[in-house]
Amino acid sequence: MSHAIQQAQTRQRRFDAMRSSLGVATRYSLLVLPIAFLIFFLVFPLLLTFAISFWRRTGFTIKPAFTLHSYIDFFSGVRLFVFERSLLVAAEATVISLLIAYPIAYFLAFRASASRVRLVLSLFTVPFLINYIIRTFAWTYLLDRAGPANGFLQWLGLVRHPLSWLLYSDFSVFVGLVSAYMPFMVFPLWLSLSGLDRRLIEASWMLGARPARTFIGVILPLSLPGVFAATIFGFVGCFGESAVPTILGGVGYQLIGNTITSTMDVLDYPLAAAMSSVVVLAMLVFLTAWFLAFDLRSFLGKILEWQH
Amino acid sequence: MAALTSGSARTMLSFTQGAAWAAIGLVLFLLYLPLVPPALFSVGLAEPGAGAATLHAYITMWANPILVSAMQTTGEIAAIVGVATPALALLAALAVRELRVPRLVMLLVLLPLFVPGVSMGLASAFFFRMLGIAPSLPTVALVQILWALPFATLVILTVMSTFDQVYLEAAYMTGANRLRAFVDIELPLIRRGIIGAALFSLILSFNETIRTSLVQGPLNTVQTYVWSTYKQIGLSETIYALMTLLILLTLALIACILIFSRPTRLS
Repeated sequence: MSHAIQQAQTRQRRFDAMRSSLGVATRYSLLVLPIAFLIFFLVFPLLLTFAISFWRRTGFTIKPAFTLHSYIDFFSGVRLFVFERSLLVAAEATVISLLIAYPIAYFLAFRASASRVRLVLSLFTVPFLINYIIRTFAWTYLLDRAGPANGFLQWLGLVRHPLSWLLYSDFSVFVGLVSAYMPFMVFPLWLSLSGLDRRLIEASWMLGARPARTFIGVILPLSLPGVFAATIFGFVGCFGESAVPTILGGVGYQLIGNTITSTMDVLDYPLAAAMSSVVVLAMLVFLTAWFLAFDLRSFLGKILEWQH
Repeated sequence: MAALTSGSARTMLSFTQGAAWAAIGLVLFLLYLPLVPPALFSVGLAEPGAGAATLHAYITMWANPILVSAMQTTGEIAAIVGVATPALALLAALAVRELRVPRLVMLLVLLPLFVPGVSMGLASAFFFRMLGIAPSLPTVALVQILWALPFATLVILTVMSTFDQVYLEAAYMTGANRLRAFVDIELPLIRRGIIGAALFSLILSFNETIRTSLVQGPLNTVQTYVWSTYKQIGLSETIYALMTLLILLTLALIACILIFSRPTRLS
């Protein structure tokens, strides 16, 4: 009798163990699913693009090979100029965006009430969510010789004749890039500034530092994770941007982004892959530096902290 | 004297406050300004000396079969993206919390945010071609899910961080297993995060052009239709009407997010 009970108990234990290990397996496979998804559908395709950049183009097809032809093609002649201009334009647009977004984030983090912060941040979300290509089209009208911007300047009496450099110029490209990427840059900046320990600022004040010194010595260094995140997002976005230069740059205005699409149109896939890989590699260098230099928690802190 | 100084200091402070709000207002004005011209052009009001407003473009667009099928495709893709992304994002958010390497998982989830649209579209196009998969609804949806995933995950993580895990402990102590505790306790409390993630994904799907245009094949969404028509012919009243509709749709979805994202309390 007791033997039968023992047997039943053993069976039950085995069954429980099997069920829980099955549970653990299901649980882990579910948790690993999004990671596998990203590796399979994003990381792998990016690696494939990198591989194709070394392939050879023969007529309308491409063949696996190892040639640096595409890179030599890219870094010589006219395309080198496109590369340099893209770097410069992206860097300048990022700096302009930071100069606008940082003071706003600073003001929201230190000088505004919680309800207003929520309002202003949601107001910044709306234009970011609305397709930037639509917003970019609108600038071609707003900045036109006969458009509202010129009309306003003439009405103010600042200029006598309409300015022609407002549209299809570096200026309009900057307007397009900044309005496309700046709204989102406010968020990481605000996250890092609002998560900053206020006592450090008070300590700096009590030790006799002037506001400017407190800013340079305490606030700015502690907000660097956010600055870096915003910079990577803005710079890489602008560097690889294809619609803005097409719409606002005017005929023949080439940045890497629209050069990639026009290279695709003439079916030179290895060259398009090489240019795309250069952009992605630049992004990975920045992202790795960010990952190594800062703890993600230093600016995603509120989101990533759990009470275990 | 002291009162006077503090009074003038306060005036100074409120002056800088006012100037700061004015500056923020100006930046927001410039960001919202581009939303106006498409609406004006779509009703034929933007040209100087234009006649009365007309809704002509909004009526004739339904007679264009390419456009109607593009609208249908847009809706179908949005439906897939709006359901699949929050589900995947929920798993991703749980993976960030449960797995031993939260930083690495987080970095991987955020990666699509930092890959420029052209590079992502190009990589996906090469990938599908290598696998021999022709461009179709699922391939376009897949690219959009990748793009929406970081945003959806961040939304869910933000709501999850407001959830006190003590409730889970309580559930374990009363004999619930992990799945049951999650489904019965945590899921209802983070529901608004999941709804928010779904709405966010819909918005991103409706507003995606560059990535989609590189994997669309013969398919057209409203966005790629606008983009390719611009590149081939130029802008027309119909195109402006489509832009206006997309803007209005996005604004409506944002209003939904604001309504649904009001905090729910455990009572």
